[in-house]
Amino acid sequence: MSEPSRTHASLLPSVAAVLAGAVYMVFFLAGESQMVVFGLLVGAVLALAAFKHWRVLDAVGQSARDHQGPFSIVVVAAVAAVCLYFYDDAFVLFLLGTVLVYVLTCLGLNIQFGFVGVMNFAGASFFGVGCYTAAVLTKHTALPHLLIIVLGGLLAALLGFVILIPVLKTRGHYAALVTIAFALLFKTFLEVNDTLGGPQGLKAAGLNLFGWDVGRDIAIGDFEGSFYLGYIAVILLLAILGFIMARRMEDSWIGLNMDAVRLDETVSACFGQSIPRWKITAFTIGNFYCGVAGAFYAMMLGYIAPTNFTFGDSLILLSIVILGGLGSLWGTVVATGIVIIIPEKFQVLQEYRFLLFSALVIAILLFRPQGLLPRPLRGYRTLKSLPGKS
Amino acid sequence: MDIGLIAQQTVNGLMLGLIYSLVAVGFTLFFGVLDVIKFSHGDMLTWGVFTAFSVYLGLTLIGLAAPVLILVIVALVAMAAIGFLGAAIAKVLIIPLKGAPPLNTLLITLMLGTVLRESIRLFYPDGANPKHFPALLPDWSHSWGHFTLRFDNALMLLTGLLMIVLVQLVIKRTKLGMAIRAVSQDEETARVMGINFNLVVYVTFAIGSALAAFAGVIYVLYYNELSFNMGLLLGAIGFSAAAVGGFGNIYGAIVGGFLFAMLQSIGAAALPFASAYKDVFAFGVVIVLIAVKPTGILGEKETERV
Amino acid sequence: MQNPLLSISNLGKKFGGVTALVDLDLAVPRNRIFGLIGPNGSGKTTFFNVVTGIYPATSGTVVFEKEDITRFSPQKVYRAGVARTFQRSRLLLPLSILDNITLGDHSQLENGLFFNLFRRRALAAQYRQLLDKSRDLITIFDPGLADRIFEPVVNLPMISRRRIEICRALISNPKLLLLDEPSAGMTHEETHRLIDDILQIKDKIADLTIIIIEHEMSVMERITDHCAVLNFGQKICEGTYQQVAADPEVQKAYLGVD
Repeated sequence: MSEPSRTHASLLPSVAAVLAGAVYMVFFLAGESQMVVFGLLVGAVLALAAFKHWRVLDAVGQSARDHQGPFSIVVVAAVAAVCLYFYDDAFVLFLLGTVLVYVLTCLGLNIQFGFVGVMNFAGASFFGVGCYTAAVLTKHTALPHLLIIVLGGLLAALLGFVILIPVLKTRGHYAALVTIAFALLFKTFLEVNDTLGGPQGLKAAGLNLFGWDVGRDIAIGDFEGSFYLGYIAVILLLAILGFIMARRMEDSWIGLNMDAVRLDETVSACFGQSIPRWKITAFTIGNFYCGVAGAFYAMMLGYIAPTNFTFGDSLILLSIVILGGLGSLWGTVVATGIVIIIPEKFQVLQEYRFLLFSALVIAILLFRPQGLLPRPLRGYRTLKSLPGKS
Repeated sequence: MDIGLIAQQTVNGLMLGLIYSLVAVGFTLFFGVLDVIKFSHGDMLTWGVFTAFSVYLGLTLIGLAAPVLILVIVALVAMAAIGFLGAAIAKVLIIPLKGAPPLNTLLITLMLGTVLRESIRLFYPDGANPKHFPALLPDWSHSWGHFTLRFDNALMLLTGLLMIVLVQLVIKRTKLGMAIRAVSQDEETARVMGINFNLVVYVTFAIGSALAAFAGVIYVLYYNELSFNMGLLLGAIGFSAAAVGGFGNIYGAIVGGFLFAMLQSIGAAALPFASAYKDVFAFGVVIVLIAVKPTGILGEKETERV
Repeated sequence: MQNPLLSISNLGKKFGGVTALVDLDLAVPRNRIFGLIGPNGSGKTTFFNVVTGIYPATSGTVVFEKEDITRFSPQKVYRAGVARTFQRSRLLLPLSILDNITLGDHSQLENGLFFNLFRRRALAAQYRQLLDKSRDLITIFDPGLADRIFEPVVNLPMISRRRIEICRALISNPKLLLLDEPSAGMTHEETHRLIDDILQIKDKIADLTIIIIEHEMSVMERITDHCAVLNFGQKICEGTYQQVAADPEVQKAYLGVD
C-alpha cells in the first residue's frame, strides 16, 4: 500500500471512473426536462452510495493516487471531450467555463484556508478586484489582455496587503472579523463609487489573445463551434496551471511549513518557522488566484456589477472549499462542479441555492467535517517519481 | 453647521449606537459563556422584527386599536419567541460543536444566518420586498429653534438605556448573573460548584437573542421599514463593535456599539460630498483598530499555556 | 564551573502579579544530562519557555554558547542550537511521522518559494536525503516506526509519539535538548524503555547536552549527572541526585509543607 503499484491494470479503476463521470456529465448537462435532471441526480447519489458500499470508491481513490500523472491527464481529456460534445451549446459551455473560473478561485482560497489556516471571508472581493481591473484596463488601455489577466491577479494580491497587518496580528474570531469587515467595505465602496459604475457596474471587453478575438465563433473548415470553446481553452489552461502550482506547493517543504503553522503556531516557532512568512505567502498567492480568475471572468461575461461580489458570494466560495475538504485540491474541483452546475440545471433550485448550500454546509460541518474528498496525507508522490541522485 | 442639525445628528447617532450596543452585548454574552461567535445573531434580529410585524398584523386583524398596547404586546412576544429560538439553536447547533475548532462554529452560524435570512425571503409572504412598519408611538414633539425632539425617539432611547442597565444588573447582581460569570471564568470549576452548565448556556443565549429582538423592534420603530436582509449589516456591525470593545466584556460591547455609530456620523460629516462612504469609513477604522489592538480596546491580552 | 554550555543568571519571570521564576542562577555543563526537579507549578516548564523564547524574561540573562540569547525569538533560539519537547506531547497529529520529524530540520531545508515550486529535482534529492536521515534516526528508537513513516501520528500510542517528538528535536543536531517530562502519560515500564533510548542516543551523539524535567525520581536517579531543584520559582538546591534527594529542604518541598 505504501509503494505505488506500477502495473497498467491498477490504472483502470480511476480511468473507468473518469469515463463514467464524463458520460454522466454529458447526460446531465444535456438533460432538458427537470424530471430527467432530478432523476439523474438521485441516480448519482444512489450509485455513489452503492459503490461506496462495495468498496469501489476506495479502489478508484487508490488507483488515482497511485497514478496521479496519467489520472490527471485523463481528467483533463475528459473535460475537453465534454466541452467539445457541447461545441455549439452556448449555455452549457458558459456554465462549464464558469465552473473552471471558480475552480481557480477556490484553489486560491484553499491555499489560504486549507493549507495555512487563514480564513478569507472576502474571496469574492478579491475576485472582484480582478474583474474591475479587467473592465477598466480593457476600456482605457491597449495593454495585451494576457498581461491584464496577470495584472488582475497582482492587484488583488496588492489589495490584500491592505489588510495584511490586521490579518497577521489577529487570531481566530478577530481575524475573521477583519476579512468580513473588508468584504462589506469593498461591496459598499463599489456601490457608491460612480467612477466604477456604481450599482450598474461596468462593461468589459472580450478577451483578445495575440490578435485572436476569443469572442468570435470558431470556424475551422466544416467545424463551427461557439466562441465559448476558446474561453474554455484559456481558462482550462489557467486552472491546470493553478492546480499544478498548488499541488507542487503541497508536495514540498512549503506545504509542510504551512501545515505546521496552521496546526500549531507555538511548535512551529520553536522549530524556526516564521509564522508571518507563510501566512503572507499563502494569503498573497490565494488572492492572486482570485484576481486572475476574476479578470478572466469579466472578459468572458462582458460586464460586471457589485452584486457579484457580495459577502454571500464569499460564503459560497468558502462553502465550496469546505464541501470539497479542507486542503483537498481534487475535492475543490469536484465541489465547485456540484455547487455551480446543480442550481443552474435546476431552475427551481436557482432561487433556493443560498438556502440549500448553507444547509448543506451546516450538515457537512456537523457530520463530515473532513469534506467529500478528504485531503490525503502528504506522500511526496510527485517528488518520488522524479529522477535524480540522492 | 447649525446647532439644530448637530443635535439632530446626535440623537440619530445615539439611537444607532444604542441599537448596535444591544446587538453587540449579545455577541459578547455568547462569547463569554462558550467562547463562540454566533454570527446568525443579526438574522435573529430580523426574525424578531418579522415576528413583531406578524403579531402586529394579527392584532390589527382581531381589531385591537390601542397602538401603545399593541407595541408592548408585539415587543414582548418578539422577545420571548426569539429568546426561545436562541436557546433552541444553542441546544441543537452550538453546544454539540463545543469540542470542534472555534471557527467551525463561526462558519456554521454564518450559514445558519443565511438559512434564516433566505427563509424569510422565500417563505414569508412577499418576503423579498421591504415592508412598512407603522409608527406605534404618539408623534408628540417639542421644538427648540431648529431642533425638534420627538417624544417617541426620547422614549425609545430611554427604554433602550434602561434595558442595557437592566442586563447589566442581571449579570452583576443576580444569582443567574453570577452563574453566567462563573461559567465565563472557568467552565470546569463552575460545573464542580454545581452549576448546570447547559442551562446557563441556554439562558444566556435566550437573553442575548431576546436583546437582539428588542434592538430590532427599536430599529424598526425608528426607521419604519423592515426587510429580510436588514440583519446582515446590523449583525456585522454588532460583531465589529463587540470585537473592537473586546469579546467577553459587556462594557466593551457598549463602548464599541456607540463608537461605531460615532464613526459613521463622523464619516458622514467628514465626507459630506459622499455620505454613502460612511460605512466604508467606519469598517476601515474598525480594521485599523483591530490591527492596533488585536484583542479589542477593553479586551485582555491573550496568553497561551504551553 | 568552566565554560558551561548554558548559563542562567538572575533570571526572573512574572505573569502580571504572579511570580513564576525568581533570581534563578544555573550553569549547565556540556555533554551532561542535567535534571530539573520540583513540585507542580514550581516554574520548571516556565524556565523552558523563557529559555526557548516563548515567554520574554522579566529580568536576568540567558547565555548559550557565550551568546546572550535572552531576547531571542523562538526561531532564533532554535537556530542557535536549542531544541525541545513539550510536556503535553505536541505533534502535528494529522500529519505523517515523516512530516513531524522533518519539521524539526527546518533550518537545514531550502524554504524558498522558487526552489520548492520550480527546482523539483533538487527538491526531490533533498527529500530523499531527509527521508533516509529520518528513517535512520527513528530506527534507533523503534524500527517498527521506520516502516510506518508515511502514516499519521494520530493513531500512535503515547510512547511512539514521545519518540517521534524526540526525533523531531534531534534531527537538526542541536547542542542542547530540553525534555519536558517525557514520562507524562506513559506507564512505568514504557518510561524506562524511553530512558534506555535517551541514554543510547546520548552515547551515539558526542556533542549533546540534555536538560530533563521529570517527576519520576527513579528516572532522575538513573540518567542525570547533575540536578537542580526548584520550588516557587526559586532554586533551593543543586548537586548530584543523591545529594539533592538527601536535602531536607527538598523533602519539605515535596511533602508539601506550605
